Amino acid sequence: MAGRSAEALLGAGFLGVMTTLYLGFQWAPSVAIDAFESPAAQRIFYWHVPAAWSAFIAFAVLFAGSAMWFFKRSPLGWRLHVAGAEAGLACGLITVWSGCVWGAAEWGTPWDWTDVRLNTFGLLTLLALFLVLGRQSQPDGVETRDTFSTFGLYGFVLVPFTYIATRIWEIRHPGPVIGAGDDGGSLSGDMAIVLLIGAVSFTLFIIGHILMSMRITGLEQRLEQAQKHLDGGMEWKE
Amino acid sequence: MEGMTYLTVAYLGMIAGIAIWTWTVVNRSKAIEARLEAVEASIGVAASDADAVAKEQAE
Repeated sequence: MAGRSAEALLGAGFLGVMTTLYLGFQWAPSVAIDAFESPAAQRIFYWHVPAAWSAFIAFAVLFAGSAMWFFKRSPLGWRLHVAGAEAGLACGLITVWSGCVWGAAEWGTPWDWTDVRLNTFGLLTLLALFLVLGRQSQPDGVETRDTFSTFGLYGFVLVPFTYIATRIWEIRHPGPVIGAGDDGGSLSGDMAIVLLIGAVSFTLFIIGHILMSMRITGLEQRLEQAQKHLDGGMEWKE
Repeated sequence: MEGMTYLTVAYLGMIAGIAIWTWTVVNRSKAIEARLEAVEASIGVAASDADAVAKEQAE
């Protein structure tokens, strides 16, 4: 049942993500030709922004899961931690990749080491990479889970920092286009609609992925237990 | 490069990322489910006993 829901969410999210792509190319208006160095490349943002939004959802799930494991020893918390790290890595990489390509088109350089938003988001993605690779290379145990949960807890500090970075230090990365306060956003109505469809679709997609990932972790644990029983049985038989 | 080339490269990279990620997750799920069914059928382990580390901590 849970597997079906996850697959349904994944499917619905995927359809929405593809619809966003189509609308972003075919329906959304072009930006003013003199406002950007590379006006065509601006359409990258119909996936870039929702992917970054999804990454933040994933990092919130990672934080909640880490806290649930660390303080409550909750098995659900550990599954949330694993799912949040995997989803955060995937969405983080998509965001960084699209941002780098847009940066190369617009700024003439894919990365700016002086920009706070770029660097804190890059660090978050590296944290997710560390958690995913670390879990795969270490045997499962309390110490391993505690160590990775601690990283998940403290790493979350970077999320609000990343969010406010362009409000405080706008160096290269553009400021917020939604919820920008009194300054207002720079989005036209049609652009905002496509972006909203993208955000909803990516949210569904990532929730589907998180549910799938949690299910896989549960299945892996059951398989490990079953194999232990099997190994024990075989030893007993000998 | 032209703006459209950057746009194409960005979207192809993102489509590849999403496709690989989804394909890996769905495949992992199916493969592990099949292995689990085969192993559990032969020994009978309850799903509630699955997370041994958490169970150990609770005890």
